[in-house]
Amino acid sequence: MKDHALKPFLKYIGRKFFFLLITYFIAITIVFILPRAIPGNPLSTLLRQIFQQGQANPELIRSVHKTLMEEFGLGKPWYQQYTDFILRAFRGDLGTSISSYPKKTLDLIVPVIPWTLMLLIPSIITAWIIGNTLGAVAGFKRGSFTDKFTLNFSLIVSQVPYYWLGMLLIFTLSVKLHIFPGQGGYSQGTIPTFTLKFILDMLYHYILPFLSIVISALGGWAIGTRVLVIYELDADYVSFGELLGLREKTVFRYIFRNSILPQVTGLALSLGGALGGALITEIIFNYPGTGYLLFRALSTLDYPLIQGIFIILIGSIYLANFLVDFVYALIDPRIRLGQSEGS
Amino acid sequence: MYGLYKKSIFGGVFMKKFLSIVAICLMVLGVSFSGVFAQVSIPREDTVYCIGAIWGPPTTWNLYAPQSTWGTDHFLYMPLFFYSNAKDAWLPGIGESYKVVNKTTLQVKIRDIAKWSDGKPITAEDVEFTFNTTKRFGFGPGAGWYDYIASVKAVSEKVVEFKIRTDKINYYSFMGYSLGTRVLPKHIYEDLEKKGQNIRDWANDDPAKQVVSGPYKLFFQDPNNVIYERLDNWWGKDIFGLPKPKYIAHIIYKDNASANLAFEKGDSDWAGTFIPEVYALWEKKGLPIRTWFKSKPYYMPDGIVFLYISYQNPVLKDPNIRKAIAYAVPYADMLEKAYFNYSSQAHPSMVIDIFDVYKQWIDYTWARTVWKSEDGRVKTDLTTANKILDSAGYKRGKDGIRVTKDGKRLGPYTISVPYGWTDWMMMCEMIAKNLRDIGIDIKTEFPDFSVWADRMTKGTFDFIISWSAGPGYDHPWNVYRFVLDQRLSKPFGEETWAGDWVRYNNPEIPAILDKIASSLKTTEKKSLYSKLQRIVYRDLPAIPLFYGAHWYAFNESKWVGWPKEENAWWYPSAPWSANNFPILFGIAKKGETPKVPAWLTTKDKGGYLIPTSQIWNDFMRAK
Repeated sequence: MKDHALKPFLKYIGRKFFFLLITYFIAITIVFILPRAIPGNPLSTLLRQIFQQGQANPELIRSVHKTLMEEFGLGKPWYQQYTDFILRAFRGDLGTSISSYPKKTLDLIVPVIPWTLMLLIPSIITAWIIGNTLGAVAGFKRGSFTDKFTLNFSLIVSQVPYYWLGMLLIFTLSVKLHIFPGQGGYSQGTIPTFTLKFILDMLYHYILPFLSIVISALGGWAIGTRVLVIYELDADYVSFGELLGLREKTVFRYIFRNSILPQVTGLALSLGGALGGALITEIIFNYPGTGYLLFRALSTLDYPLIQGIFIILIGSIYLANFLVDFVYALIDPRIRLGQSEGS
Repeated sequence: MYGLYKKSIFGGVFMKKFLSIVAICLMVLGVSFSGVFAQVSIPREDTVYCIGAIWGPPTTWNLYAPQSTWGTDHFLYMPLFFYSNAKDAWLPGIGESYKVVNKTTLQVKIRDIAKWSDGKPITAEDVEFTFNTTKRFGFGPGAGWYDYIASVKAVSEKVVEFKIRTDKINYYSFMGYSLGTRVLPKHIYEDLEKKGQNIRDWANDDPAKQVVSGPYKLFFQDPNNVIYERLDNWWGKDIFGLPKPKYIAHIIYKDNASANLAFEKGDSDWAGTFIPEVYALWEKKGLPIRTWFKSKPYYMPDGIVFLYISYQNPVLKDPNIRKAIAYAVPYADMLEKAYFNYSSQAHPSMVIDIFDVYKQWIDYTWARTVWKSEDGRVKTDLTTANKILDSAGYKRGKDGIRVTKDGKRLGPYTISVPYGWTDWMMMCEMIAKNLRDIGIDIKTEFPDFSVWADRMTKGTFDFIISWSAGPGYDHPWNVYRFVLDQRLSKPFGEETWAGDWVRYNNPEIPAILDKIASSLKTTEKKSLYSKLQRIVYRDLPAIPLFYGAHWYAFNESKWVGWPKEENAWWYPSAPWSANNFPILFGIAKKGETPKVPAWLTTKDKGGYLIPTSQIWNDFMRAK
């Protein structure tokens, strides 16, 4: 049985992997083209900073400009820039940031990744768990007060723009009531250390961004699961189970297990995209994550940094997709068998 | 496998395992980004917090890199002399005194006790090395000095000699470069080069290894914070005393609004940001916050902001149109409605006449004759503007828009500034409205900064509002040069950041500019400046709008004694300004009495300051 199952499985995974490579290549090509299609000058922010420091003298500006043009090969024709970029990307060299020159792109991205993952993974999972539970209960008790309340609440919450919710939280709980800090990953003047004091301080700063993501995400999950559960209620095994006189709790568990599958995919995709950060949430809360970095990169037209972030982001989304396919093939025999029949 | 499907995904073994993996991952992440620093936080009362000088992740503390983090110029490395705009005087830093040997040679004596933070003496060799390395790389401290200085030589351990380039004598640049350039440690950079380190890419971000000449060095940095710590055994403490704050910290905020909020709350002490309605902070909210002036215009002036009209469009080359536009700009209205009255209208001569020292360079008689006003400023007057266009033969078409004699419509043109620069955006709208009233078809456009800057530096715009140069020992020469000197320019479509964005091309200008720079006689300079003003009033290559404000505000809830109008002991005073060194010596913790350092007076009064005019006189008297 093992051998029989493994062959189509490997074939399926291999095929997925092949397409993954091709789409990845196309995606990073687009990432190369898009920022360059914006008719701006990537050096402008850097050069303006020199003016702002009040050191503007024409000689200085000229020499810095000349050096940077050479350094980034911006004077070169596009196809040469493109091959340089691809070749370096495959060697794992994502280049040097323009706005933070001479820092390496990777050195800017890596330190902010833990912040983003710490913010997003727990909040996505929390929202997923709470949302799905609420949705399932509501669907199961269709028509009850719980259902109506959950549905309305979820509809409203899922339609509220999460950045607006974030701003609302800052305005009420931070600016007006002074309960929580409204910005940053930790208190000013604090230096990140692995001490209880710092961790508590970090958690204190964590609450508002965490809440803003959880609240705005759980509505969507709840609505989805509710519908899935309602579909499942009509299934034969439910009527059969009820006729057998199974306890309500047991029936609910069966339904829940069967209806949750699509939501697992959704969760995996959310987690895969987590690396991109909750862009606007991070901007609003001045939270030191990848989303905030991407925002800075985009607003300064920092080509290498934009490319670097997207390469990592796209990579992680693809990886999550791939894992979902993998898990699917693992847990759903129909997909495996479908592959072997097709071939 | 099938069993996995049958088992519950939720609440079962799988979920438990999954959650515990997530928990472990989180803990690993938590550890991975925590550093190995001993101290957890710096005391608030010992720290001056700044805003408005850094807007992106910190980069380097190396002046040979194309960019360095705020603080490197300010607190880490000192020049031979610091320059004060308001006093038009020089404060000896590493240098102790200067000697004008002859009309082409200047010697600077370095302080005997000046030392690098690793204990090695600061010598003339360091100065020579710094200049020559900049020349070798093409940039670094004093980039471009070789255009004005023939040689920099250590004549003894503590004396360095600068020789001016006699083929194009420019005393402004000669003095500015030789006195004002930051000096870097030769032994450190030579070691790096020996080790094969590319100096341009060196970050110098290891606090333990930083070797500096100033009273501070780096303490901590991450993408959101930069903190400097005072060196309590700094070599200069017997000369200058020690600066008062133990720490200087800069929190990097995402935008003005969040930075200003921190400042208002007292989380920050020293602000270099644009703050809307700043006066409300003390007038209405009663906060211990102030800017330079208690009432209008609140801020000191900095660089001149211009309305640039590109010479790309042949119709807009006509000085009559430009003159009509100069009359149509609603100066007072703009400043009141869009700029909170933070500044005053710029003088059309391109000279900043708010500082008394610069007034002598304005030919007021001629300005009055041309512009027919008390102080020679242009008065907004649409009737005059219309008259100028009428008599120049621009008749109005059916739609009210004027046409040239050969039937070309005046417009549609665009006037643009970067999106988000709200004060300037509003000014654009106001100018556009008035220009439409006098029959010029114009609309506003607000692209992203990088897009806008691209057009500006390539000269491919119609109208923009933008910056120029500001006060300095070389003012107003620096502004004339920046706005008018075609040698800084490039053809349309090619990028230049150096100046002359409108591509004004007048062969008279370079000769006059060079003559001024090589002259030491005030009377001669005056007549040359007058000549420039005549040209500027005739051609109007760019229209001076107002003086950009020098963004500087302070919150006295933790630190007191900041310089202000009533107690103007040092200017420039903004945290981002490269010559703000003395500020940290004159402030005090709240509760203590601030004392202005005694050395901030001129030499004849027992201080250290040397007026620029004295240096000019020494050159004049020399052979």
